[in-house]
Amino acid sequence: MGYTKEEKAMIWLDSFPLDRAKKAAALRLAREPYALAARFAALERALAAELGEGSVAAMRASLADEGYLRGLFASYEREGIVCVTCFSPLYPEALRAAEDPPLVLYCKGDVSLLKERKFAIVGSRRTPPHILRRTERLAEGLSRAFVIVTGHADGGDSAAIAGALASGKLIVVLAFGIARIAEAENAALLQKAGERGLLVSEYLPGQTARRYTFPARNRIIAGLSDGVLVVSGGEKSGTRITAHCAYALGRDVFAFPYAAGDPLGAGCNKLIKEYAKLAEDLVDISSAFGIHLCEGEKAPLTPQEERVLACMGGEPVHISALATASGMKEAELAPVLTLLSVKKLAVSCGGNRWGKV
Amino acid sequence: MLSKVTSFALVGLDGVPVTAETDINNGMPSYELVGLPDAAVKESRERVRSALKNSGRKFPVTKITVNLAPADIKKEGSAFDLAIAVGILKATDQLHADCGRTVFLGELALDGALRPVAGILPLLISAKAAGYTDFVIPAGNAAEAAYIEGISVVAAADLSSVIDHLSGFKPLPPVAARAYQKGARRESKFDMAYVKGQATAKRAIEVAVSGGHNILLIGPPGTGKTMLARCLPGIMPDMTFEEALEVTKIHSVAGILGAGGIVEVRPFRSPHHTASTVSMCGGGTRTVKPGEISLAHHGVLFLDEMPEYNRSTLEALRQPLEDGVITVTRSGGAVTFPANFMLCASMNPCPCGNYGSADRVCTCTPAAIRKYRARVSGPLLDRIDIQVEVDSVKYDDLAGVALGEGSAAVKKRVERAREIQRERFGASETNSDMGEKELKAFCPLDRESEEILRLSFESLKLSARARSRIIKVARTIADMAESERIRPEHILEAVSYRKYDNMA
Repeated sequence: MGYTKEEKAMIWLDSFPLDRAKKAAALRLAREPYALAARFAALERALAAELGEGSVAAMRASLADEGYLRGLFASYEREGIVCVTCFSPLYPEALRAAEDPPLVLYCKGDVSLLKERKFAIVGSRRTPPHILRRTERLAEGLSRAFVIVTGHADGGDSAAIAGALASGKLIVVLAFGIARIAEAENAALLQKAGERGLLVSEYLPGQTARRYTFPARNRIIAGLSDGVLVVSGGEKSGTRITAHCAYALGRDVFAFPYAAGDPLGAGCNKLIKEYAKLAEDLVDISSAFGIHLCEGEKAPLTPQEERVLACMGGEPVHISALATASGMKEAELAPVLTLLSVKKLAVSCGGNRWGKV
Repeated sequence: MLSKVTSFALVGLDGVPVTAETDINNGMPSYELVGLPDAAVKESRERVRSALKNSGRKFPVTKITVNLAPADIKKEGSAFDLAIAVGILKATDQLHADCGRTVFLGELALDGALRPVAGILPLLISAKAAGYTDFVIPAGNAAEAAYIEGISVVAAADLSSVIDHLSGFKPLPPVAARAYQKGARRESKFDMAYVKGQATAKRAIEVAVSGGHNILLIGPPGTGKTMLARCLPGIMPDMTFEEALEVTKIHSVAGILGAGGIVEVRPFRSPHHTASTVSMCGGGTRTVKPGEISLAHHGVLFLDEMPEYNRSTLEALRQPLEDGVITVTRSGGAVTFPANFMLCASMNPCPCGNYGSADRVCTCTPAAIRKYRARVSGPLLDRIDIQVEVDSVKYDDLAGVALGEGSAAVKKRVERAREIQRERFGASETNSDMGEKELKAFCPLDRESEEILRLSFESLKLSARARSRIIKVARTIADMAESERIRPEHILEAVSYRKYDNMA
């Protein structure tokens, strides 16, 4: 992959473990990005005041070493990592509006996805099973018009990945370096996402996840996307940060409604109270963008299945309540419910309770 | 003078004849006991001396040599006391009686009373097979001896009555034979009728027992998992005499036989989760004792809170679950114990226990839940065909007066399902024992069922190994419905019992 000299300068600058403010300060000093390397000797004193002696010494050493940049590019190539810098035509315009847009996005997979229309789906690790299935189906539907952007955690994020994986229109934004995916809690899923979709991280490939990398990652998810759907999250969930970032950027924010008092969805309800739009299905979201997406063909249902589905509401129902409502015996219900879950219309939520998807 | 008296030693579940040879010589008074005796056998000297004295006999003040032959088998326990005492009496001319082929078993108290010993039933059975027909045993063991036909057993309360019996002064009547009555003790305080709600779990239990499948109950603490498990023996078919005898043998060896003499109710064993592998599988230093899995033979082994058990203890169950026997090898030799039990395990759905609860919130992350479940290994879970959720019962359900269907009615249906299986396989095989060959022969799937099974695997992400398990359970469900063919709804119900695979 050929990089321009501006891009090379960015990749070089980003290869030093500096925080975002320091990188910005260095660029301000250099005025022209590639000047940073070219006129390093002249800038050295001013840089030392901004970045500290140690970093400047490392930069000086790297400039003296001819193999430094070549080694850097070779190691990225070996890992299959493509660097999309803020000077690249692939760099998403929408992200420039975000607070402190990253200089370099380290990418693995299909980078052309960065140029397409994007929609983010985020959720908490603790997401009820029926919401997981709902998220999966919604992500699948939305991926017909959008590239789905999400995080890498268990729960809501993973459901969004699973839904969009088949179409490959998927961007997973990581809170750690791309070389670290094998250590993640759902490494197998991320591996697949890298093969079929795109993995993106603003961190150097070897960086591990830290407490502060998660909220920083969330600003990228929000910055990349035209809209954000929050599928689950408690009052202190990180999904609220993503929503706030998106709202601040003027993007559309949607949230699934939850029953009053449900701690797993208190964050969603609060978002709806504040500014988010209530979203229940594909139409609620797609119509906000002036397009029309509808649910795929429904599998034909038997009258029994119709009856059971009609007895299920938004919240999971216990099988004995279903039996009373549908007038069937529990033993008769078991096959019907299993078939419904095979058809992905219902899901077992634990404790013999079933939720409608 | 020399005397020979026969007794029996226990090796595993079998008896070996042991001859107590007693010789009296002139010389310094002494008492030598040879023939690899352990401490309990060696101490018989003191018991025999006092018992003889307190029964009004003399302990000779000469040189006594007692040899327990064959000399190469390790002798353990106190069951040789009576044979040694009778041997000394004969050698010292205090008793004139021919007891050539009479077998003496029993422990002596210092006052001459006979105390019951463990393992009488297997000893009698082995002795009978070896051609011995006359026995003298402690009165406390009379009940278990009553069930063996074709032998003459005398149960004595003390040494004096044994002597009186042998000398013909006051013969004792033989123990009256008793016939085994199938299902004689029907009442149990654990009845399905008292389990409120839980229709899904009750149905799953019925399926499990009908087809001989192992079952895992998943539910928060205090939801009645233990109570449900306790109901299992009550709905299993009554044991045949052969089965009861086998169970009694094991319990007799372990020394846990009750007063009834024979075990009539299927055993229910629930070892604590701190149980060691040896206590679970059987073992011991030289002679081998049966473990919990053998004590649960023909009954139920209940593992409450399965993930809390030691990993290696759980792994040790895999082979007996497959083979129905366990072979324990020690330096003293290898012993095979039967261990054909139904495994019933229980566990919480997640570390906090609230997963799936309607009114309490589960605070576990998916990673924490995965880690908790990984404590039970996949290969062991693979041997559990049915996994079902037990949920918290509402107060109204508990307070209701209406009783559910009782165990007796369920048992009737179970027996019918087992009968169908007996016609199919012959012997006492059940659906859960089917191999690949039988699966092919007895469980053909029509195209619709095949399609549903394929779809289930795809969308519920079941493990491929679950396939034959699902078909076996579906076969049982079809048998319960008296259906020749496995129908789609049977497959679907069987799939619904793979809760562990498709949760979270």
